[in-house]
Amino acid sequence: MAVQVEHLWKTFQIPHERRTTLFESLTSMMKSNQYETFTALKDVSFEVDKGECVGIIGDNGSGKSTLLKIIANILRPTKGTVKVEGKMTPFLELGVGFQPDLTVRENIGVYATIMGLSRKEILEKTDDAIDFAGLRKFEDTKLKNLSSGMQVRLAFSTAIQTDPDLLLVDEVLAVGDIEFQQKCFDVFSRYKKEGVTILFVSHDLGAVRRFCDKTMLLRNGEQEFFCDTNQAIDKYIYKFNENEAKDSEDVEENKLRQGNRKIEIIGLKFIDKYGKENDNFVYGDPLTVRIFYESHEIERSPVFGIIFYYQDAYCYGTTTEFKGYDTGLVYGKGYVDFIVARLPLIAGKFDVTVAVTSSDYKTQYDWHEDRPLPTFSDILNFFFSTIQAKPAAAGAPLSL
Amino acid sequence: MLTPSHLHELWSYRDLIIRLAWSDFKLRYKNSALGFFWSLLEPLLMLLVLYVVFSNLMRIQVEHYQLFLLLGIILWNFLDRGTSMSIWGIIGKPGLVQKVYFPRDILVISTCATALMMTALEFVVFVIFMAIFRVLPGMTIAYFPILFIFEFLMILGLSMALSALNVYFRDVQFIWRLIVQVGFFATPVIYPITIFPENVRWIVMLNPMALIITMMRDCILYRIPPEPYNLAYVALSMLVVLLLGYFIFDKLEPKFAEAI
Repeated sequence: MAVQVEHLWKTFQIPHERRTTLFESLTSMMKSNQYETFTALKDVSFEVDKGECVGIIGDNGSGKSTLLKIIANILRPTKGTVKVEGKMTPFLELGVGFQPDLTVRENIGVYATIMGLSRKEILEKTDDAIDFAGLRKFEDTKLKNLSSGMQVRLAFSTAIQTDPDLLLVDEVLAVGDIEFQQKCFDVFSRYKKEGVTILFVSHDLGAVRRFCDKTMLLRNGEQEFFCDTNQAIDKYIYKFNENEAKDSEDVEENKLRQGNRKIEIIGLKFIDKYGKENDNFVYGDPLTVRIFYESHEIERSPVFGIIFYYQDAYCYGTTTEFKGYDTGLVYGKGYVDFIVARLPLIAGKFDVTVAVTSSDYKTQYDWHEDRPLPTFSDILNFFFSTIQAKPAAAGAPLSL
Repeated sequence: MLTPSHLHELWSYRDLIIRLAWSDFKLRYKNSALGFFWSLLEPLLMLLVLYVVFSNLMRIQVEHYQLFLLLGIILWNFLDRGTSMSIWGIIGKPGLVQKVYFPRDILVISTCATALMMTALEFVVFVIFMAIFRVLPGMTIAYFPILFIFEFLMILGLSMALSALNVYFRDVQFIWRLIVQVGFFATPVIYPITIFPENVRWIVMLNPMALIITMMRDCILYRIPPEPYNLAYVALSMLVVLLLGYFIFDKLEPKFAEAI
């Protein structure tokens, strides 16, 4: 057990009129205390195991940061207990304690000490931090003479020299450019691999999806859901209620499926390099997408198509026709294989749309949108638009 | 509270205390051409003014009055500086209070340590003055470190209470300035205790700072060892101040991050 939170409550008292001087305090003693009570966390309980990466999502003001600060011991709970095991490093803000008038080297020393590094570790790691930030030329420059981007890089590269058991991350990734964010992701992947327990507060649901084994959804301080990441995100985005979800699923089905069904897509399989159906694929490995169809009438050269989406962004799509494959006369049950020799997709959860139309694309037979495609893990590079899809064994008889 | 486990924790944070204190110390003199000479200039200038006024106009008759005066100023400055810097120790560093966690008394301890470094510099000047006026300390100098530690811990205790109270009531800083100013004249810094009639001296000497300064002078300049009961009184009052300071600090500490 890395973190154990039991029945945690946190109430803030926000005075209407802030009394910060003794005089005001004395004169207003006569009046009744006027303050607003705001309950930021209501009866939150959860446990995080060692090595788990847990996301915390929710709207602004739902208590995410408060929860993290209580775990970090910065705020104290009103009720309930928090137990933390091992060495904890909070990344609630980068560059805490940075002094503009000290040099890069001196600031690394101060910041690293604040982050809990020993003097020996700092001696060893200062050069790493400078190199990682790419500030070798500026190591004896005062911090105030660096650009804000450089300062953030310096803070980050110093912070990651720590060797924590538990990492608390609060929207740190929101700052910085794409390259910097990618660096952050790489570092957090490394931490994850090393078995560091991570609590990750973010509005970037894509990042949460990529990293977190489990996710907690907070709504108005209440713990609405704590389990599977995808479900938590769905609940957050679609405001799913368990009961509502069941009702709306049918509607959803109709909305996402169109066509006259002369040829029906009756199944979809993702087949790995061992010829087995699988949910997870790794970058560089082959993938076969097998679309099962049933044609109720004899059709000449229908076109099968497939589109990959990543977080609603179009990644790649193709059809049998684009690839110059003629499906010929189609009747009865059969399947079409789209074979990807080497998967060029980054890590993440992809959706796929499959469809079948007439040869002139004018009649839509069937269109399945957003079939969730399994998660690709450990994929590091971007290679859009190089999927080599070729249909194979189209129209082959099928025994389901 | 100052439990053994807390002291042990503080010990594990010694790097942080030193680092914070040292960077604060350096920051004070960055961007100034004369650097830390400024901090030496201040007590020297004060010494000059007070010496001219009191030895000529007030005709105070004390052996080695220059050294007598300088030592008093340095020791009083230590208290003044340590506490007034520490008042800002918590509210002056919101980032360190709201975004990371370490035992918060470290902020106050490190600020007091910065004041200690500045005072150490002034003592260098004092030693030079002693050499100039050819005053050689005797064996009684052995009491100096003890008395100095007592003063440091007393300053720490005061700083604990002041820094914590100032988070909630910002007028503490103004009230404390008044007290320090009155204290400067109520404590035998510029004059010897002997200017008071015999029967009221004990009232002045209830002030532990008065005792510390007097005993310091005795042991450094006049080779007179401190009376054991005076030493015990200072030790006891230091302990009371320190524990009370920590008590107030611990009571107020949990809501620092919210109230700052």
